[in-house]
Amino acid sequence: MNARPEKRPWLRYGLLGLFAVPWIGIPLWMLLVNSFKTQGDASVLSLGLPSHWNLVGNYRTVIDQGSYFTGLGNSLLIAIPTILAVLLLGSMAAWSYARSRSRSLRVAYYCTTLSIVLPPAIIPTVYVLTQLGLNGSRLGYMLTIAGTRLGVVVFLATGFIRTLPVDFEEAAALDGAGKWQIYRRMILPLLAPVLVTASVMLIISVWNDFFFALFLLPNTNESTLPLTLYQFASTSTHGVAWNLVFAHVVLSSLPLLIAYVFLQRRVLSGLTEGGVTG
Amino acid sequence: MPSLTSPARAPRPARGARRGGPVGDAALPAPGSAAPVRRRGRTVFRYAFALPSILLVLLFFAIPFIANGLFAFTRWTGYSSVITWDGLSNFRLLQQLGVLSHATEVTAIYAVTSMLVQNVVGLALALAMQRTTRGNSVFRSLFFIPVLISPLAAGYIWSAALATNGPVNAVISVFVPGGFHYAWLGHNLSALICVACVDAWKWTGLVTLVYIAGLNRIPERISEAALLDGAGPWRRLRSVTFPLLAPALTFNVVITLVGAFSALDVVFSTTGGGPGDATAVLNVALYNEYGQSFFGMASSLGFVITLLVVLTAVPLITWLRRREVQM
Repeated sequence: MNARPEKRPWLRYGLLGLFAVPWIGIPLWMLLVNSFKTQGDASVLSLGLPSHWNLVGNYRTVIDQGSYFTGLGNSLLIAIPTILAVLLLGSMAAWSYARSRSRSLRVAYYCTTLSIVLPPAIIPTVYVLTQLGLNGSRLGYMLTIAGTRLGVVVFLATGFIRTLPVDFEEAAALDGAGKWQIYRRMILPLLAPVLVTASVMLIISVWNDFFFALFLLPNTNESTLPLTLYQFASTSTHGVAWNLVFAHVVLSSLPLLIAYVFLQRRVLSGLTEGGVTG
Repeated sequence: MPSLTSPARAPRPARGARRGGPVGDAALPAPGSAAPVRRRGRTVFRYAFALPSILLVLLFFAIPFIANGLFAFTRWTGYSSVITWDGLSNFRLLQQLGVLSHATEVTAIYAVTSMLVQNVVGLALALAMQRTTRGNSVFRSLFFIPVLISPLAAGYIWSAALATNGPVNAVISVFVPGGFHYAWLGHNLSALICVACVDAWKWTGLVTLVYIAGLNRIPERISEAALLDGAGPWRRLRSVTFPLLAPALTFNVVITLVGAFSALDVVFSTTGGGPGDATAVLNVALYNEYGQSFFGMASSLGFVITLLVVLTAVPLITWLRRREVQM
């Protein structure tokens, strides 16, 4: 890609490594190693190895008392259908926005993209959900997340479809392909790289969402992972126990980190080449 | 994000011309009446495809957004079933309680700090890891890890790291004779700055990737030309890279600033708004009002966030875009 060979790559790598130690290394090591310690050991917050390993005990406590599996189940139950729906509905709308000249659709498009930048109005959202009889339910939360996250998909996908020539769609229509068929067989496959980028952004923001969950999911049996983490760490007995808080943090972060280990190439290239900045 | 509109604009005149009807359609052998019918059919399906998305955005973004501008001026509590117009009294009361201007100021300091840290560190990292080499890929994936961790988790990690006996002070103690035991989260200003930095830490990886994408979009030949003209590395950075990086800069500055205005999670898991109310950003104050069932006042605080976003984002985008260089 670059013709000029780099003169001193090792100096650069050295500096990057030097920066990575306090930025990534120390905090993550502190997190992991202290989650294996006893409460007394962990309260010192040292970076040394545990004098007494309490790995099983800590993680068992988190699973038993931190409602970890409730949180994991709810997070999966909420995130997967929501993200799939946002990708599907967003790309469908994007096709309309990209190809239509209608003024009202253009207004809808701008309104949708504005939702990326403008802050969510949480109190009236609670009001709307109450009016719909959905307040405090998983469904209400999922719909809200979908409504506030559609902007990213619509924005990326509309921009991408606009760069595609319209001829193929017209040819397919002349050959008798239905609208759904054209969308399903032509638009969706072409959108794949954009949708990869969008799903990475969606997964990160939906899986880690705490703000909406805090307001919209008041029942503990519907708590997502960030909520169970917050509830666990806020109870006075665990709040001072860094070993337990850290164990919960490790377990809550694990699903995305495991996925990242396998998909990091896709994730990083999707975000750098998928056109976040266009 | 703004530059996505520019490539899209190209095909539009062509289609606009066809819309004129007679010119484009006359070329078609089809009978004149067929075109409008087909067009109407087409429009209906366009609406049908966009409808679910429009409904969701309308119900859960647009309507709440507009309603917030109204609720902000109403007396609305959980103790009464009626919502009445109340003018500016919510804002007046919040000001008397010492919440309004304090929370706004705290939010502004928080957002600017977070934005600066993210962009300075993100840009530096992007310049250091710009080329797609094997070594750089390792560092890129390493520096991206915090983005995957929830902001809440990031808060817990750093509140431990910044504790009086935590690793941050331990590392500083190595260089300071007699040890160093500063309570980073225990003093008003340092707590605010630290919490904003935790927020920045969580998102810097993403900002870095956007800068890398921006850097790699700069045509190689331009920097090569500058090199041949005898420009040194600093000069190339200042006169070639930075001006051509402007779209990425606009995007990053605006997104990080606007995102930090609505911060809540990191504050919740580090200081909970304290010490006192030193880190009680607008959303924390909003949650407190909501918790006491003062929904009108909570809406007023939400409205202030909206104002902050609109009043900074619009001039900022205009100003930054005017400085962008077209390639």
